[in-house]
Amino acid sequence: MNLRIIGALISKDFSLFFRNRFFALVTVLGIVAYIIIYFVMPSSVDESLKIGLYAPVIPPVFEQLQEEGLEIEVVESDEALRQAVTEGQYVAGVVLPDDIMEKLMLGQKPQITLYFASDTPEEIKDAVGVMVRELVYLQIGQPLAIEVSEEILGPDMIGMQIPPRDRLRPLFAVFIIMVETLGLATLISEEVERRTIRALLVTPTTVRELFAAKGAIGVGLAFGQAVLFMAIVGGISSQPLIILTALLLGAVLATGIAFLISSLAKDMMSVMAWSIPALIILIIPSLGVLAPGTLTGWVEFIPSYYLVDTVHQVANFGAGWGDVWYNLLVLLGFNLVIVWIGITVLRRRFR
Amino acid sequence: MAGDAIIAEELTYWYGELVAVDHISFNVAEGEILGFLGPNGAGKTTTVEMLTGLLRPKAGKAVLLGMEVAKNVGKVQREIGVCFEDTNLYEQMSAIGNLRLFAHLFGIRPFDPYALLKRVGLAGREKDRVENYSKGMKQRLMVARSIVNRPQVLFLDEPTAGLDPTSAESIRNIILEERDRGATIFLTTHDMLEADKLSNRVAFVNQGKIVALDTPHNLKQLYGKRALRAKVSTHSGELEDREIILDTPETPNAIHELFAQKRVVTVHSEEASLEDIFIRITGRGLTG
Repeated sequence: MNLRIIGALISKDFSLFFRNRFFALVTVLGIVAYIIIYFVMPSSVDESLKIGLYAPVIPPVFEQLQEEGLEIEVVESDEALRQAVTEGQYVAGVVLPDDIMEKLMLGQKPQITLYFASDTPEEIKDAVGVMVRELVYLQIGQPLAIEVSEEILGPDMIGMQIPPRDRLRPLFAVFIIMVETLGLATLISEEVERRTIRALLVTPTTVRELFAAKGAIGVGLAFGQAVLFMAIVGGISSQPLIILTALLLGAVLATGIAFLISSLAKDMMSVMAWSIPALIILIIPSLGVLAPGTLTGWVEFIPSYYLVDTVHQVANFGAGWGDVWYNLLVLLGFNLVIVWIGITVLRRRFR
Repeated sequence: MAGDAIIAEELTYWYGELVAVDHISFNVAEGEILGFLGPNGAGKTTTVEMLTGLLRPKAGKAVLLGMEVAKNVGKVQREIGVCFEDTNLYEQMSAIGNLRLFAHLFGIRPFDPYALLKRVGLAGREKDRVENYSKGMKQRLMVARSIVNRPQVLFLDEPTAGLDPTSAESIRNIILEERDRGATIFLTTHDMLEADKLSNRVAFVNQGKIVALDTPHNLKQLYGKRALRAKVSTHSGELEDREIILDTPETPNAIHELFAQKRVVTVHSEEASLEDIFIRITGRGLTG
């Protein structure tokens, strides 16, 4: 392979990429926007469960309630409590009647009202209900006849929850990398459709050199932008070598997908038509980081899962090579297959 | 005596069931301009693609500058220049950017794009984006790109198609300059007048086969007919066309009779065109 030829082709593609106003804008504004969003998002997590209480007479057990992660605030009126719950200041509101103590003494059943916002998850409703019942049992001198012990399996994440902005890092990194499939696929499909590829192939340029140049520009643009973003948002401070390796493999994946898309697409519009579904699929694993527990096992069939998971584990939990080697190996395997298929099908369009 | 720059031996290519080029053989001497003429779909472009290494022949072989093309694609492509029928420039780049890219690919150093652009009449517009050029300017840039490496063999596929007379003439002049420099030129066209004007020899291609190959003069001698065309006034005052075939034993008497008995209004001689000959040989026109 002739490095002079590859260098000339890379320089040409780089120039064409930034002469396309759409891609220039998406590239520059994209990174700026992601960085702004990152720094605007909260940098800490409020792990406490706030419950509002309105009670003309507060039973002693409610006054003594101080558990880790639970805050009870007394509100001055029933109406104020309803308002606060509706506005999301409390996950739940508890209204105790003014004759609660008398009724409990007489063995009657006082009416306790619980307020929840309309979007409160069912498990929170259940937990608050159970907690209130337990408190009442305690108040009337009937403690539960069991001892409960807690054991955390794995690292105890209390006080170590990942801030929303850091949950966004893998999403943005993957997004930056995968958006480059659009740019590279457009460059290649335009080259084929405008037949400039034929002009290149009657010079000493070989098909191999063409692929080397396209691959280098695709990997370079995707990797460069992702590294820039991760460096600015502090995603490389922990285990930089692993993060760089993962981003590099991600950039290769994006390049392989771009080869595949450009073998199918004929112009920028059809590149968009193919790229957007691909982009959506590739971003799905990031949603699992944003909302843990929402994805099931099938997500592991999406190649970007291994990139997202590695970036998430390393940047957010300080995982090491021993924790993510499997992810990187699977990602490498996906890359080899996708790049090989991409080159094989795209090669046919060069003729 | 010059050797052959291009040799095609039983060159064949097919796309599925369609035989695009059917066992054609010819040679082009160094410094010669060969006009390769035929209607659309005759197999001209496929032939050029095999000669330039873009397509590998299904049968037969092409030899350029003593090297078999299929086995020496890289070496052959260093010595050739190709100007395609369809404009395939990097339109977001300037003319200079386009030429510099190709000079880099050929490893040409030092390279002066300004001199080349001046030669093709694009001086003053060197830094403009190509997308702002007219069709004629783009075509001149295509020709300039094809001679960046001072090729020994230059392939020109319909270089003047659809151009205004000035641009077409400018390109014809460059072709003749390249010929004078010593380049061998393979000119694909269906413009018979252009081929007649520029080519040392012409090959007629029809349905993938070469049906005639000779100098324009010889082809006209062999297949054409010279004639005298006259408009004469009849006794009733109407105009009539008369044609007298030249080069026959009856010609002198026929001419004598024309001028003796009729009132000749206009008279001119007519030579067969390459198009007439092509139609006579193949039974079809060039634009079909």
